[in-house]
Amino acid sequence: MTAAAAAFTPAAGGWRALARAYADSPLALAGLALLMVIVAAALAAPWIAPQDPYDLSQLDIMDSRLPPGSASADGSLHYLLGTDGQGRDMLSAILYGLRISVAVGFSATLLALALGMSLGLVAGYAGGRLDAFVMRAVDIQMSFPAILTAMILLALFGQGTDKIVIALVASQWAYYARTTRGAALVEGRREYIEAARLLGLSTPRILFRHLLPNCLPPLIVVAALQVAAAIALEATLSFLGLGLPVTEPSLGLLIANGFQYLYSGRYWMSVFPGVALLLAIVALNLVADRLREILNPRLQSQ
Amino acid sequence: MPQHASPSRRPSLLARLLFGAAMAGALLPAWAADLRIGLSSDVTSLDPHFVNIAPNIAFSDHVFDTLVKSDASGKLVPGLAESWRALSPTTWEFKLRQGVVFSDGTPLTAEDVVFSLDRPATIKNSPGPFTSYTKQIVRKEAIDAHTVHLHTASAYGPLPLDLISIYVVSKKAAENAGTEDFNSGKALIGTGPFKFAAFRKGESIEITRNERYWGAKPEWDKVVFRILASDAPRLSALLAGDVDVIENVPAADLARLKTNPQVTLAQHTTWRTLFWQLDQFRDQSPFVTGKDGKPLDKNPLKDLRVRQAISKAINRQALVERTLEGLAEPASNINAPGIFGYNAQIPVEAYDPEGAKKLLAEAGYPDGFSLTIHGTNNRYINDDQVVQTVAQFLNRIGIRTRVDTQPVATYFGKARAHEYSFALLGWGSLATDFTLRSIVGTIDPDTGWGSWNWGKYSNPKVDELVAGALAAVEPAERERLAREAASVALGDLAVIPSHHQLATWGLRKGFAYDGRIDEFTFAHEIRSAR
Repeated sequence: MTAAAAAFTPAAGGWRALARAYADSPLALAGLALLMVIVAAALAAPWIAPQDPYDLSQLDIMDSRLPPGSASADGSLHYLLGTDGQGRDMLSAILYGLRISVAVGFSATLLALALGMSLGLVAGYAGGRLDAFVMRAVDIQMSFPAILTAMILLALFGQGTDKIVIALVASQWAYYARTTRGAALVEGRREYIEAARLLGLSTPRILFRHLLPNCLPPLIVVAALQVAAAIALEATLSFLGLGLPVTEPSLGLLIANGFQYLYSGRYWMSVFPGVALLLAIVALNLVADRLREILNPRLQSQ
Repeated sequence: MPQHASPSRRPSLLARLLFGAAMAGALLPAWAADLRIGLSSDVTSLDPHFVNIAPNIAFSDHVFDTLVKSDASGKLVPGLAESWRALSPTTWEFKLRQGVVFSDGTPLTAEDVVFSLDRPATIKNSPGPFTSYTKQIVRKEAIDAHTVHLHTASAYGPLPLDLISIYVVSKKAAENAGTEDFNSGKALIGTGPFKFAAFRKGESIEITRNERYWGAKPEWDKVVFRILASDAPRLSALLAGDVDVIENVPAADLARLKTNPQVTLAQHTTWRTLFWQLDQFRDQSPFVTGKDGKPLDKNPLKDLRVRQAISKAINRQALVERTLEGLAEPASNINAPGIFGYNAQIPVEAYDPEGAKKLLAEAGYPDGFSLTIHGTNNRYINDDQVVQTVAQFLNRIGIRTRVDTQPVATYFGKARAHEYSFALLGWGSLATDFTLRSIVGTIDPDTGWGSWNWGKYSNPKVDELVAGALAAVEPAERERLAREAASVALGDLAVIPSHHQLATWGLRKGFAYDGRIDEFTFAHEIRSAR
């Protein structure tokens, strides 16, 4: 570990130090660049995609299953990455699919983070019965595989982006709650919290202005890893046909739809969305790993 | 319409000798006169009267016979009964074939037939009893060793058709036998083309040729059925030569198989016809709104012009060629061609988006409306793709269409509770009057009419014609009434026909099969093509 990394603490306002430490790894920088390209492409999808793949009136079944580089029957479009079984331009579908993945991944992570963090903070600070209650809920939650929880919820609620987000939040909040509580237990015994309490500050103020900032480093690491996990989970659910409507395929559903054509040599329908998903998850993991290296005190001390 | 994808070529004698010498003869399956078949669904019981599901029936046909059989195209032909006729509207006479013996050597008599017709009602805890085929018969009489009289409570024309599902077992072997005695082979004594040899549940079944069979003897000394439920392993088994024939070739792999010189494909139109059921009873249909999302003041699907517009908007040719990859044919009827009562006079609706828009405008929807259409995603060939393609077509005439597809387990429950506005169903039956009774007959839970009428279509004229057909014991009269009923119901677009599915079998080179409309894989109809 570098000296810059060891010196970093958010409470000391070391965001710049964090950036410097991060930049020490070229691989992590490449990951960050890739992630930014993917996020930018996802955000700009409606403007850069050749076709709106979710507007059924723009699709033509006569253009279905065309190999990469074919032109559409009416000559108006050029399918760079080919088309799927409905005549949907794969490039547009992948861009829009990334959009869903990014939106679902980040919003589910932020919501789960907000929920889990608040519960963990309160539990860790208050202790006693409240702590026991929240932590048993966490234990129960974590004893179920995330995919199972999400599947049960989706089976109950039905399809839709909002429902996927709810399912992902429900299956991930516990990680944040547990991490925050652990950090809050340690930090809560420090002198500065004692001092804040003696000064007569209100509990919310102590929790969010004093305790929270010092619990952040492990949370940032967990959140960065969980975005990738959320995107993968969403793709898995969609692959199983539980996620979004079939007319609005996300990456998982695109892979599932193209999967049956793999044997017949029409690889493009599932390989290209698979590559897009892979790149997104690899980029996120590179970033998250670097953050973990910088922020984890155990790794720093080595 | 059997389509044989490969002409069989006969290699020269010299070539065969050379090849035979090179391969030591052992690798050419036809010489061994053994046949290995990969089945796509499990045979759950060998008792022919235990549960009425297709895989079990398919097996039963190898060991047992029925009084009346259906041929590959669904036509009724003599089985153990060489002839039958209605003596009166409620009495049928079946004349049994002479000289038929069971595989244990006992001759077949009218007693065995009466016993077999009685037996389904004695089976306890059947998950799908065969009694629906025997309950019409109120009395059975063995007049002499080869004559049986069957009495029905009221005139019932489809009796011979019902009897294609009741296999005749040996009274001597089965009298005190339970289902487990059939599974062990003890009671599995029939008059069919094969004899039972071995059964490993969930894995395989073996049968050998019945040398006492009364009909044309099958080519195969021994047949092994292997249960290969997943698509990929079944296909791999065929390609690796572990089996000679497989059923239900996965649609997506057809393109690849067509270029494989080791494999030939056999296709046949099946009895399964897919059509759309439309909500025709509610004034506010749950999945129909204006384009602004607000409810409409009336249900457009109740308007014949809207239904016609929808039918014209569907490009059935593109649907079967592109979405279904040639695994279907455009439909105009609610039953497949060749099925009793099929009305060839009804043409397939031509694709006419302009005409469709005009009709929508005439009906008062020049800008269309919003609609969610429903379908399954695991029941029919490419079903979720079919639903999406139809949504594409409807969007093109201005009906903003959304798609919701579900696994069949949840879908059928909701559809049968009439929860949908526009929903896909596939139906297979060997007679049009049967289909019409279930699909477009006015709903009556007591008689079972309209049990699958999701849109609650109701037309007294159709009901009358269907009831007339079912009560007609004269086949020609019954068929005329069934055709007329179909033409009235389809003139109303009670349902919108979509397509007839094709079934595909994969065969290794050297084997030939014509396929069957009922999708069954019968070893006694598979030939060597050398």
